[in-house]
Amino acid sequence: MKTQEVAFRVLRFNPEQDEKPHYETFQVKIDNRMTVLDALENIKHEQDASLTFRRSCRSGICGSCAMKINRLAKLACKTRAKTEADKHGEVLAEPMENMPPIRDLVVDMAEFWREIDRGTPWLVWGESLVGSSKENLLTNEQQQVSGKLADCILCGACFSDCVSRVFDKNFAGPASLAKIHRFVADPRDKAGVKRVPGLIEMGLWSCTHCYFCWSQCPRDVRPVAAISALRVLSFSAGDMSQGARHVDAFMESVKSSGMLNEATLYLKTMRWTTIRDFDLILKMTIKGKAPLPFTRPIPKIDEVRTLFRLAREVKEK
Amino acid sequence: MKYGYFPGCVAKSSAPELYDSTAQVAQKLGIELVELTAASCCGTGVLSEGDPFLNLVLNVRTFAMAENMDLDILTICSTCQGVMRQMKWQLDNDPNLFQRTNEALAKINMKYTGKVKIKHLLWALIEDYGLPKLEQQVVKPLKDMKVAPFYGCYILRPAEALQFESHEKSTSLERLITVLGAEPVHYEGETKCCGFPILFVQRETAFEMAANYLNNAKQRGADFMVTPCPLCHISLDLYQKKSTKQIKVDINLPVMHLSQLVGLALGVEPKKLGFGRHMVSMAKVLRVS
Repeated sequence: MKTQEVAFRVLRFNPEQDEKPHYETFQVKIDNRMTVLDALENIKHEQDASLTFRRSCRSGICGSCAMKINRLAKLACKTRAKTEADKHGEVLAEPMENMPPIRDLVVDMAEFWREIDRGTPWLVWGESLVGSSKENLLTNEQQQVSGKLADCILCGACFSDCVSRVFDKNFAGPASLAKIHRFVADPRDKAGVKRVPGLIEMGLWSCTHCYFCWSQCPRDVRPVAAISALRVLSFSAGDMSQGARHVDAFMESVKSSGMLNEATLYLKTMRWTTIRDFDLILKMTIKGKAPLPFTRPIPKIDEVRTLFRLAREVKEK
Repeated sequence: MKYGYFPGCVAKSSAPELYDSTAQVAQKLGIELVELTAASCCGTGVLSEGDPFLNLVLNVRTFAMAENMDLDILTICSTCQGVMRQMKWQLDNDPNLFQRTNEALAKINMKYTGKVKIKHLLWALIEDYGLPKLEQQVVKPLKDMKVAPFYGCYILRPAEALQFESHEKSTSLERLITVLGAEPVHYEGETKCCGFPILFVQRETAFEMAANYLNNAKQRGADFMVTPCPLCHISLDLYQKKSTKQIKVDINLPVMHLSQLVGLALGVEPKKLGFGRHMVSMAKVLRVS
């Protein structure tokens, strides 16, 4: 089989010796089939036994070997070394973000686990089911929704690459919220809207929809979609936090004119805090770009309103 | 080249310079834009958090409108493009949803067949117009300009729904910048989130995001940034002074819309490109050109 020599640049850190992390490059002979984990094992066995990283199953199931490969969190055992080298000219291996490094590619995942625990990551049985000897099975269709979310292997890749979490430590992160949706989407779970106050406290409305969690999840759990679904739940349960008010104002605007009215959306969401941007609104007015609070409805607005009515009927059904 | 044009709400409201500069570019390149004036807002990922089915049906109404005219849809907003492409992808892969959506559309006497394509101007320039042809149209190469591409999120992710390029090594903006004669500058944050989606909810967090990426671009020597998304532009230009004040740096980095960058290289007068409407002055950049 054809082989090639590739540079593996690894971020090293030994807290007993190093003041701060530093890069070290290893040359590794790889073939077409080798994974990044294979290559790291190779370095450990043949070049430097002190190189430290987590691994266990080598099959993309245990979630131990998540690390940043060429700047994005991935499972080393599921990532082909040649693909990375071809794309980037090298393989850059660094520990995951949003969690402190312990040694080389190993991070302390305590924060991640704490965030998972912050929700209610278990099935809340209804009273009628407690103590029942009957099996409570899901239909195939029901299982498809919650089952996909249950595929999470808690590797931390989404948490690592979550942009909001970098700047907002109150945001519980994608995995934690997706885990809650796994139970909300399970018809046997009876907590339902009782989970809403907890969700808001965990930063339900702090996700930016950057889609990094969707892209980096090795199990295709799509946490951002789960977060959106939880927001739908929260909104319909009468959530009046700023995030939900934003959705409400948005819907009202589209219903009345078919378009997004930036002025009313802003005023209804921000309320009195609008005052902080008076200077900006003034400048926008001078530059002829301040949105007006009144917009003329689009042609055929009746069609839009009919669809609003229809959607409400579908929901009520 | 002829498209069903979906400029989006922001280009028709707080970013008129994007709408105007796109008209200039289309005219120069002979691209015919038939505006879908009866189309509704795409929902920007917010409407779907009130009612996902409603948001889907409203967008499919827009798709059907373009199909009726036998045109593909062109957007100048990454967010519109991302939301619409994702919805189309959902329908392509879910026959039941496709049917339910069409049942709703039938109530307003419309039908969606699934043939419409949705493209951002950036992709249309690359796939339909062609960069080599665009290069021939450049009359004022953007020489000596260092441009930091800011992709943002919706034009890159999720790649499986958008089916254009991988966010791991995106090159579309870089290729466009190069063809226009400028030099692309890479920096940490070019494919990250500008913060806009949470600007009204978590203002400080949103500011941190924008200010940090602006700072990174500046540190790498960029003269200005360019973005294909008017929502990113709000975060990066409109709120720049406030966001950078929060992280206590004075950055003053101009931010161009994609259409303005192309227009400048095609020789459109800067005045017609609406630079005067920006919060961070373009004067220094325009003097170089």
